[in-house]
Amino acid sequence: MEVKKNETVLETRDLTVNFQTYRGEVKALDRVELGLFRHEVLALVGESGCGKSVTALTILGLLPQNAHVLDGEVLFRGEDLLKKSAEQMRSIRAEEIAAVFQDPVTFLNPVLTIGVQLKEAFQVQRELVWNEGSNDQVESGAGDRNIKDFLLRKHEPQPTSRPVSGRRMERIAEELSKDILRLVRLPDPERILTQYPHELSGGMRQRCMIAMALARRPSIIIADEITTALDVTVQAQILNLLKELRDAIDASTLLITHDLSIAAETADRIIVMYAGNVVEVASTKDLFRKPLHPYTQLLMKCIPDVRKPVIRLESIHGSVPDLIEPPPGCRFHPRCPFVMETCRVNKPILKEVRDGHLVHCHLY
Amino acid sequence: MAEELLVVEGLKTWFPLKAGVLQRTVGHVRAVDGVSLRVRKGETHGLVGESGSGKTTLGKSVLRLVEPTAGTVFFDNIDVTKADKTQLRKLRSRMQIIFQDPYASLDPRQTVRSLLTEPMRTHKLVSSKAEATKRATELLSLVGLNEEHAYRFPHEFSGGQRQRIAVARALAVEPDFIILDEPTSFLDVSVQAQVLDLLKDLQKRLGLTYVFISHNLSVVQYMSDRVGVMYLGKIVEDAQRDMLYKSPEHPYSFYLMAAIPIPDPEFKKIPRLLSGDVPSPVNIPSGCRFHPRCPYATEKCRAGEVPLYQGSSSDHHVACHYNIDFEAEKATLRPDVIL
Repeated sequence: MEVKKNETVLETRDLTVNFQTYRGEVKALDRVELGLFRHEVLALVGESGCGKSVTALTILGLLPQNAHVLDGEVLFRGEDLLKKSAEQMRSIRAEEIAAVFQDPVTFLNPVLTIGVQLKEAFQVQRELVWNEGSNDQVESGAGDRNIKDFLLRKHEPQPTSRPVSGRRMERIAEELSKDILRLVRLPDPERILTQYPHELSGGMRQRCMIAMALARRPSIIIADEITTALDVTVQAQILNLLKELRDAIDASTLLITHDLSIAAETADRIIVMYAGNVVEVASTKDLFRKPLHPYTQLLMKCIPDVRKPVIRLESIHGSVPDLIEPPPGCRFHPRCPFVMETCRVNKPILKEVRDGHLVHCHLY
Repeated sequence: MAEELLVVEGLKTWFPLKAGVLQRTVGHVRAVDGVSLRVRKGETHGLVGESGSGKTTLGKSVLRLVEPTAGTVFFDNIDVTKADKTQLRKLRSRMQIIFQDPYASLDPRQTVRSLLTEPMRTHKLVSSKAEATKRATELLSLVGLNEEHAYRFPHEFSGGQRQRIAVARALAVEPDFIILDEPTSFLDVSVQAQVLDLLKDLQKRLGLTYVFISHNLSVVQYMSDRVGVMYLGKIVEDAQRDMLYKSPEHPYSFYLMAAIPIPDPEFKKIPRLLSGDVPSPVNIPSGCRFHPRCPYATEKCRAGEVPLYQGSSSDHHVACHYNIDFEAEKATLRPDVIL
């Protein structure tokens, strides 16, 4: 596949978000900058409360009522998503930026079969009518290749003169649904289409969610802790699927996880967040070879590695700060072993230290 | 070899499933289904398994927080399953449990001091209020908190601090045995090690014996001397820690180890994926419970229950008919149909 290197598909600039709570303003995001390249898996890593999910919700336009975006922009195709109306954002979430969340049970409708929910995703797409012209491919269930062509938008939608009948639309959607379930490696798609969410296991439900997200042929998939509720062996299956899909379709993935090991295995690049700040951005290899930010360095010593058992595991003293009154200067300074005078007063900026390796620290 | 403090033999804990107007029992959730376990004094016995494998129920059954259906639990040669109320109360001052969620396990309306002194009063370990307060202060410093924390409420603490309070409360009755049920799964990685190291230090200083339950294989490796792998209510493999992590002998343990994410992008991992999910403990597969997901399963595996065989060393037990050389299979094994 021809992919232009480092073409940015999504970008946030100076994203600053506060939450109004009864205890005061929570400064959840503080000038968050990130760029998602075309056709990559970008991991957003951090501990709970670091703002990784808030970043995702801001991009999706799904922030709760008590959140205020104070500053910044979310650029997608040259337009600022923060300026879009709720209606426009809905169609962007439907067609362009799909999201998969941690717990599939809460996102699947329990009283509808998987088939009904999945076919609906296909049917609302007007472009489906292109299949009218090349119906043989679709109906014979040409399988893998066909669904991949569809996801890759190889066939641009053709406006047709003839209206498509409801039944025909239904049939096309059914075929595509089966194909897409095969793509996410669910066996026996015919049966799964007739089942209800409670009849499926956690891993199968998460595969269905991924299938539904893909059905809209999104250019960006936001995967927020999609394996947290799953068991280790199933987690390995889903992460493997994610890697397969990256190679199979033309979409960029923003993978949100608290687990650096998962990021190490799945992502092309990693963004480390701490207390509402982006503290380090690097390719996965660079980040693990030479972490620059003290927080990243310490965090890596905190994660046990089964290949190298240790006698003593490190921890970072203190705990994550309360974001109602975040520490002045660098937000990590109270826990940082290399703290300097300037760290207590001045906020560092995100500097590019090496090619593509950015760090938010006064040391560099 | 140290003496065995806890000996569990053939423990079963089944929960009835009731249905219909008459609430008749229509089946059982076989949460723990024939587990034998030996824990030596002063050591940490890890238990790993995926959700629904029965690790937590096993922990609770040992303390009789849920009543076991069958089997015996001997603690220091006293049969816990037959103990009456007064004996049980005595036993519980020696056996404690720490739960995973420090946000749920501490009463939000009690101060830390009152949380810590309540078990002392219940077990009549202190004679006066002043003595109880003094002990509470000692406990707080033991877990790395200080006196001023005694007059605060749980909501004023971070997750890591709350778990320290839970540890202090368990220690208030001077136990010699503690079941740690996922004690760090609610904590962030940057503070997880603080709690793990505290538990390790306390074990050394007070000579405690632990059963450490977790789904996180790396954490279990860090904490344990021996490890048991649970699958659908049974221990499928039980061995000395390094034996288990270096050369697992049960296919499930092998795939479980292979599924652990490695924090090293340059590590060339051979993708070895297990198909499917853990089945429900209501419909347990016949024969070896693992056979529907096992790539090595044969007719024999489908037929009857698998006994615990002796593995490559005398204290290595594995519930598998075959002696599989996973290393040899490495190259040829393909993750064909996932799920």
